[in-house]
Amino acid sequence: MDVKAKLSEIVGTRHVSDDPEVLGKYAADFSYTPPGAPNYLVKPADAGEVSAVLSFCNEHRIPVVPVSSKVHFYGATIPKEGGVLLDMSRMNRILEIDPDNRRVRFEAGVTWDKLTQSLKKKGYRVIMPLTPPAERSVLTDFMEREEPTNQVYDYGEPLEAMEVVWPTGEIFRMGSASVDGYPDSMSKGGNPSGPGLDFYRFFQCAQGTMGVVTWTNLKMESIPRMDKVLFAPMDDLDRAMEFLHRILPRRIGQEVVLLNNVDLAAMLADDGPEDFERLKEQLPPWTLILVVSGLLRRPEEKIAYEENFLAEVLKNEFSDVRLGENLPGFPGLTKKTLPMLREPWPAGKPHWKLRVRGGCQSLQFHTRPMKAQLFVDIVEELAPRYGYPINDIGMYIQPIEHNRACRPEFNFFYDPGDPEEVEAVRALYKEAVTLMLNEGAVFTRPYGDLAPIVYERAASYASHLKRLKKVFDPNHIMNPGNLCF
Amino acid sequence: MISKEVYRILESIVGPEYVSDDPVICEGYRSGPGGYENGLGYERVMTLVPGCVIMPRTTEEVQRIVKVCYRRDIPYVPYSTGFYGPRSHPHVEDALLIDLKRMNDFVLDEKHFYVEVGPGMVYSPIQEECMNHGAYVVIGGGGAQASAIANLIGDGWSPLSHRIGLPHRRILGTEVVMPDGELLRLGSLATDDDPFWGESPGPDLRGLLRGYTGLRGCLGIVTRMAIKTLPFQPERLEPTGVSPDTALALPQNRVKWINFTVPSKEAQVKAMREIGHAEIAGAVTKVPLFWRAIAKAECKEEFWDIWGQETEESIANFFIVRVLLIGFTSEEQMAYDEKVLMDIMEPLGGIARRTKPSDESWIKNADSAGMWLMCGGYVSLDYVIETLTQSIEHGPTYADLKKKYTPPLMPDYGDPGWFQSFELGHQGYSEFLIYWDPDDDTDPVDRFYVDTSKMNIKNRFYTSLLGPHQPLYLTGPKYGPNYHEFLLKVKDEFDPKWMSHPPVPLAHDVFVERAPWMHAMKDWESPDDLPK
Repeated sequence: MDVKAKLSEIVGTRHVSDDPEVLGKYAADFSYTPPGAPNYLVKPADAGEVSAVLSFCNEHRIPVVPVSSKVHFYGATIPKEGGVLLDMSRMNRILEIDPDNRRVRFEAGVTWDKLTQSLKKKGYRVIMPLTPPAERSVLTDFMEREEPTNQVYDYGEPLEAMEVVWPTGEIFRMGSASVDGYPDSMSKGGNPSGPGLDFYRFFQCAQGTMGVVTWTNLKMESIPRMDKVLFAPMDDLDRAMEFLHRILPRRIGQEVVLLNNVDLAAMLADDGPEDFERLKEQLPPWTLILVVSGLLRRPEEKIAYEENFLAEVLKNEFSDVRLGENLPGFPGLTKKTLPMLREPWPAGKPHWKLRVRGGCQSLQFHTRPMKAQLFVDIVEELAPRYGYPINDIGMYIQPIEHNRACRPEFNFFYDPGDPEEVEAVRALYKEAVTLMLNEGAVFTRPYGDLAPIVYERAASYASHLKRLKKVFDPNHIMNPGNLCF
Repeated sequence: MISKEVYRILESIVGPEYVSDDPVICEGYRSGPGGYENGLGYERVMTLVPGCVIMPRTTEEVQRIVKVCYRRDIPYVPYSTGFYGPRSHPHVEDALLIDLKRMNDFVLDEKHFYVEVGPGMVYSPIQEECMNHGAYVVIGGGGAQASAIANLIGDGWSPLSHRIGLPHRRILGTEVVMPDGELLRLGSLATDDDPFWGESPGPDLRGLLRGYTGLRGCLGIVTRMAIKTLPFQPERLEPTGVSPDTALALPQNRVKWINFTVPSKEAQVKAMREIGHAEIAGAVTKVPLFWRAIAKAECKEEFWDIWGQETEESIANFFIVRVLLIGFTSEEQMAYDEKVLMDIMEPLGGIARRTKPSDESWIKNADSAGMWLMCGGYVSLDYVIETLTQSIEHGPTYADLKKKYTPPLMPDYGDPGWFQSFELGHQGYSEFLIYWDPDDDTDPVDRFYVDTSKMNIKNRFYTSLLGPHQPLYLTGPKYGPNYHEFLLKVKDEFDPKWMSHPPVPLAHDVFVERAPWMHAMKDWESPDDLPK
């Protein structure tokens, strides 16, 4: 069987490659995951072509690895068993912008840069995670449940109805996009749920193992008319959490993040390693960043009531918290911070996670806010045992859902060219995961080394996942070697 | 009949006082009289008195019961508070009804905004306790006496969903006894015993709990669930009145309903969109006009006196926008929201009417009881979360089809039902309600029900009437497409013996086969081997 000829028949010769040099570009990413090249690269143009490729691969039991982004940190798109790498970058159309229902529908290959620029022209934005690379797929980030920095909306998830191709090749629209003839229909795709089951849930954090998402609807929000960025230097993480617990349930602010001096320095340093080191030394242990915004109507008054509330709370309950428009000693921070929270990380600039030492291993999980300090203590006790300096641990805490939960992220920067350093960080990461699991950390995105450790604790869950996967992917072709599959 | 041997095993699991095959006890679990879908063909044709009833106390007991059933081919039906009437009752002979009311544990975590409940826990005390601790929940249309878990895996919305949104997003750590008795723990419970977080490692099996509406217990039994609550404002809402005329007195500086009349439907819709875009308010809704008559009437006769004064013209020219303002942040925020609201309503010709400083329904109890007042028979036929674009067209299409079936349906002069904003206007909601006199010939009501699916398919509307709510082989090919094939594959995988509430999700298909008055309208294909 001539696989290349068949794939070429489906997507056209120009969009198939088995050139080792081309394939090699997909064999590694910014993680320490061992390289693994595909046998073929295929770039489909639409759902019909995706369907035909999957049908063919399913029939012949050829592994398929869907890839939508150019920037990867977790090793999930590195082929573990060769096969076809399905590069979705040609499917990069913004299909609809619907101001009435504040909805945008776009394909898997649409990048943060393209989407944010297109929406900005019309006065809209989507809530976004912290500094997504400009070339990353927006759809991938939401499918992988990256946490947005904006947590003021009670409804949380911005994803709406979407289309997938099952591993057996059937094209399937989910939620209210499932109506016959969509999008030429009364139903516009505002509801991701159903039909029959919440199928879309099976694709979340699936790392391409359940099928291929071709497009999605996503909520868009209006760009605020006015913003004020507030900063508070914090020494005590527990105190910061108490403060957030006091203000976030009162629906204060739009974006809110807590960054330690290492992560914030990495984001702000524009003039090389010395600048990074200087900032790291000068920044407070933690910086709380809170953006209060005036929306479409009476923007000044909206900001005023939020500021008045904050002033009362600070005066009466948190007089030790110095929340203001400037971070003492860093006068230019305001100007830099808002773009950092509202724009993707520029394509031409190495991502802040990579420019410290070239590589970065991130450890993220969910927990109760008051346990955040416990996890910091665990990491700080553990890191020196692996030769990793405490002062170089990056930390980012994302408050979630009015601070009823949070997502800590620990960043370990390393030199990817130094095998010993790579191995030390890898060992540190694995032990940290184990210790954190013992303390109740919730890992919802088990990439690479994390997967076997987590699924060992979630044996029943893994067993049911495997049964479900078998229903939809009977020949186990989708991105094998990831999660518990 | 459940054999003596099995009966003794069941006794050993829960104790003799919590299992019974006494016909008198089992009769108490007959569907009707009264209640949702009361007296319709589905109830008459599809429901049976259980052969035995058991009341477990713990998840472990449920597991043991289900394993006994699975091993010995005994069909079983999970049952909590039974709002869904016929759909919650056994559909096959000698089924074991597992009544979950004893599983009424309740833990409230104030700081992390969730409650953890068993399936026997109802909304009323949850809402009371939440409000005592600075939070609130959505009480769905089933009312405050409905099981919170059943509501969350079935429906779970109300006008408060303008801000709070889709119900399935509030499901956190959950335990499910799967149809074969294995325990599936979801969310943070998958790796630990702390239920605070809803997402699990990797693909999210909460997708098995429900579609956009529920599966009626055909894919397992939820025995424990943490439900996310939302932060409320701090002032007390004081209960007033004597049952049944009760209300919550609202602190007007922090919680306030305002009813506006506007000159046209266009203004009504524009108001909803603008309120959403401005990101204000706790609820924005337009309800059917006859609800006003229900609210005013003390008895059935008085309802008809009030309602009888309406005409098609008066209905067609009545446009109301009902807005709930909540001062989540402060009184100043409340004042800001009110100013923005007035900025929106004034140019649209909105006039604020005198509105009671109290809440009779949506915060307190989402009271559906009054729905039976007029005719005795009631069902919320379709309740669709989509966009406002669909919502505003859906009701009139329903009203048009309904004319063909009136009577026996109650004359409502073309009222297009209820629509509102969800998720700050990102979504729209429409609900269409029907009423009938159970003493009339109700066969046309059964036909109307199925006819609405054909209407939805033809007009390309999304609908709640999917899965087990309609013939699966009618809707299946037209949504997804072929969602029924995937749903049935999942059912076969996790319940290969079809012991969990058979023949759901094919029960409505079976009903159409069994009910002769439905045959003439069956113009879709279904397999010959449907469970008979």
